[in-house]
Amino acid sequence: MNEDLLDIICCPLDKAELELDVDDRDDGEIVSGTLTCTDCGETFPIEDGIPNLLPPDMREETPA
Amino acid sequence: MDNADARDVRETYETIADHFAKTRAHPWPEVETFVERAESAAVGLDVGCGNGRHAAVLAERADRVVALDASRNLLEVARERLGEPGARLVQGDATRLPLRTDSVGLAVYVATLHHLPGRERRIESLNELARVLRADGSALVSAWSTAHDRFDADPDAARGFDTTIDWTLPDGDVVPRFYHIYAPAEFEADLEASELQVESVRVSSGNCYAEVRGQREGESERKHP
Repeated sequence: MNEDLLDIICCPLDKAELELDVDDRDDGEIVSGTLTCTDCGETFPIEDGIPNLLPPDMREETPA
Repeated sequence: MDNADARDVRETYETIADHFAKTRAHPWPEVETFVERAESAAVGLDVGCGNGRHAAVLAERADRVVALDASRNLLEVARERLGEPGARLVQGDATRLPLRTDSVGLAVYVATLHHLPGRERRIESLNELARVLRADGSALVSAWSTAHDRFDADPDAARGFDTTIDWTLPDGDVVPRFYHIYAPAEFEADLEASELQVESVRVSSGNCYAEVRGQREGESERKHP
């Protein structure tokens, strides 16, 4: 995930800003981490470079 | 309709992603023409980007392109096609966009609306597009139409219909996909019921198309379908 996405994305539920915690970075791209809503506190994972901003009720695990 | 239905559509595409993407190589000419005529924008958006074929077209007019899809596996395919860091990939739901208000200058919402079960949910997704799209920004919305040759339906009817269209994988497995096939009059009515400003509506190659602009400032009052 390119860090410049942070000024475009927001929480899908209440549209508040997201706070970024980076676990792993590669060549400037964020590979894994967590986005946390600054209002409702819901967390959204960044996995393999793609932020998962599905609302929790859409997030159910599926076999890849 | 609960969110299980919307999740089903996502799971369908998780299953068929690779095969689906291979059969969708080329951008639609209607989308290419729309983007060619559009003014350039800082941020472009493809809602329901699939394998990224239209996000690639948007990149010709937008400095940064957000490619959004509910299916993780389709986003993986889009990443291969678009290269890194060619597009900003986001997994998200078209009815609850994880994008800021007035953040987008140019958008395409192509062949995705018809996968949302229930009129309320479809109009909500149009309202979400209106919210994220700047008032001076433009977008192209399309959905499959009753005017398509494959449907034995009256294209002049007030409403279309819900149906299931199977996707057959190379190994013979069949995966059902939900569709709402739009009557052209109904497509226009749903757009008018949304907060989008509708510029033009037409039918081309069996699909309904609308060119729209974002919500005008001070029009945040929700219209109810």
